[in-house]
Amino acid sequence: MSDGLAINRETALLMICDISEQRTVNRELISGLGYRLEVALLLLYVSLTVLSCLQGGNDGASFASSTVVIFKHGKLSGDPRTFEALLREFERRHPGVLVREELLPSSTDQQHQFYAINLEDQRTTFDLLAADVIWVQEFARAGWVQDLDHLLPPLERDLYFPAAIQAATFEQHLHAIPWYMDAGMLYYRRDLLDRYGFSPPRTWPELVRIARTILQGERERTLHGFVWQGKQYEGLVCVALEFIWGHGANSLSEEDPGAEAALTFMRNLIVRDKISPAMVLTADEEATRHLFGAGRALFMRNWPYAWPLFQQEGSPVRGKVGIAPLPSFPGYESASTLGGWMLAIPRRAAHQREAAQLIAFLTSPEIQRRMALDIGYKPARRDLYRDPALLQSQPWLRELAPVLLAARPRPLSPYYLMLSQALQPELSAALVGTKSPREALASAKRQMTHILGREVDPLPVYLR
Amino acid sequence: MTASRSSRGQCSGRTLSERGWGYLFAGPALCFVGSLALTPILAAVWLSFQRRLPIFGIQEFVGLRNYLELAGDDRFWAACRITFYFTGVSVTAELAFGLGMALLIDRTWPQVLGAGTDAESGHGQAWLRAIILIPWAIPTVVSARMWDWLYHPEYGLFNYLLLTSGLISQPLNWLSDPVWAIHAAILMDVWKATPFAALLLLAGLKAIPRALYQAALVDGASAWAAFRHITLPLVLPVILIVLVFRTMDAIRVFDAVYVLTGGGPGNSTETLSIYAYKTLFQTLQFGYGSALASVMFLLVLMMTGCYLLLLRRYLQEVT
Repeated sequence: MSDGLAINRETALLMICDISEQRTVNRELISGLGYRLEVALLLLYVSLTVLSCLQGGNDGASFASSTVVIFKHGKLSGDPRTFEALLREFERRHPGVLVREELLPSSTDQQHQFYAINLEDQRTTFDLLAADVIWVQEFARAGWVQDLDHLLPPLERDLYFPAAIQAATFEQHLHAIPWYMDAGMLYYRRDLLDRYGFSPPRTWPELVRIARTILQGERERTLHGFVWQGKQYEGLVCVALEFIWGHGANSLSEEDPGAEAALTFMRNLIVRDKISPAMVLTADEEATRHLFGAGRALFMRNWPYAWPLFQQEGSPVRGKVGIAPLPSFPGYESASTLGGWMLAIPRRAAHQREAAQLIAFLTSPEIQRRMALDIGYKPARRDLYRDPALLQSQPWLRELAPVLLAARPRPLSPYYLMLSQALQPELSAALVGTKSPREALASAKRQMTHILGREVDPLPVYLR
Repeated sequence: MTASRSSRGQCSGRTLSERGWGYLFAGPALCFVGSLALTPILAAVWLSFQRRLPIFGIQEFVGLRNYLELAGDDRFWAACRITFYFTGVSVTAELAFGLGMALLIDRTWPQVLGAGTDAESGHGQAWLRAIILIPWAIPTVVSARMWDWLYHPEYGLFNYLLLTSGLISQPLNWLSDPVWAIHAAILMDVWKATPFAALLLLAGLKAIPRALYQAALVDGASAWAAFRHITLPLVLPVILIVLVFRTMDAIRVFDAVYVLTGGGPGNSTETLSIYAYKTLFQTLQFGYGSALASVMFLLVLMMTGCYLLLLRRYLQEVT
């Protein structure tokens, strides 16, 4: 609708420009042209008015009598019109309710800042928000979001992935409803593994062995073994936790031998086994995705978003990539870090009931399936991963389901962002070798205990 | 009528001196500037005396506790060291290269050295001046992204050049090495800010009367002597101004480093601004973050004060 208007305005403006250019031609013509200019402006005005009546009239009339639910979220991937169409569908089913999307900057940090400032306010100007899984505890503790127990009775919670429900639960009450899922997983080059007769690795040492064998066999200087996210940022915490959990450690304490061994192993991937290039120490998701997508890495740890990009036409690795749960250390279970987004209602939202209706709509099996089909979002409902229609168009969801099922939330604490800030530099220091893993863990624990010590007693399990 | 008017004029003339009138007229402007500049600073200082975590509704007055905690905070001291190292190296380099560039562009010097005349350099000069300003004109975030790619271990230009010339056999990982990373950031800053220094210094060089050089030439002074005894002393005030500007900018450096490394690896490039940003905006510790910001403000104030003192003393000596 707005496109049509914009084009119309533009052509009209061009007309005016044309006319005003001619004005310089002859002084005598000025009055005549001025007259033409007025006519043009009048025509423009009339046409715009008619247009807006034709197109916006409907909205204008119903805006007055209906409730407008304002939904804040970051940009979704793909064509925004797909999601808009879903919202229009909601409006059709709920006469008298209109939904307005208000997009936040795509940077997660900035979104968090926005919420922290605006939810603190006495009046909230929006009714529904999308929260990163790591914010829910904080928002709930601050009293910024509603208790949503009534939207998802305990019995129905089993329909969702357990880690997501855990992350959304604060002091036994659900404060958000999982919207779509993310979890760390292993991408591998199926063609190369097949050529050497390997099946995807189940353990980390196996991955190292496979990578070394294939790298030696290929003799390709630009091919790397295993790429992952080692830059000093939130992503590093996710990756490190996967290694640490995969070593059977539940605690980040330096006294837990599992945690120390996991960090040592990560550093050794670069310095001893040499299957990870040193560039992983500055790599984020996109840097590794580009490298793997250019066919220059054998294994990659990343989130599911990369999969459809690899299958696009023109991608050098199209049809050559496989996915698997992340390996673990021998004798321990594989673990991956939970990501994804949830829907929550601000405590001071003006339209609580309508927002709840919108949550029910967006998390309904039908809409979750459409989101998965149309923009490739991973449903938060478990049974959809057995849905024949969905599996037919996206067979890889079958392999993704066990990954999401094994996912674990990052330390559940309202203080998580502070804890992560303390962890990030220490983990990075252990990887680049400025500190030993033991020193780094000890220093991280000291800082985290200091942060929590004031408010939390006894210390949570991940620090004991 | 006339009598009363003149007596009123005399009366007000007696109560307000010329200086007083000056203050009165400048008052509105001072209030305006004061409220714009001073209020936020005072607000930040006030915040720094509180323990304030909006997320948890914590807001209490703690006096100097935030500052005491800063004193015992290793991360703060590390950030201080990194900031001062960054500032020292980058400002020195910018000044040296900037002076070199300015001398090259200034048309006086070829003449001092006895080569070339005014006529030779035409409007190429104007072009040159415009071109050297390009790095300064590019937004820092954009140039940081650019340098990020230059440093890229796989696709970066630097590694390509070094590898093809055979100087190194393995690609270097500039940004993932704790020692290289800070220098990579410094190099980028020098590239970006040198033109600024050069331009200011060029203006300083242009202001030096050419007759002085001609006299020195007649007296048989060497080029070095001319530089040492004419150029340097006369351009010194501009050098101090460049130092003030660049030091202030370098102490507050944020975007250049944050985009390149995010403070990593292992906090080896975390400057005070980045630490303050993370504390204030990522973890929303408003009190502690404000204490950090206030300390930074004090540091910049002290440095600027030192420079201004130097400048004043120099000017006094001259006059």
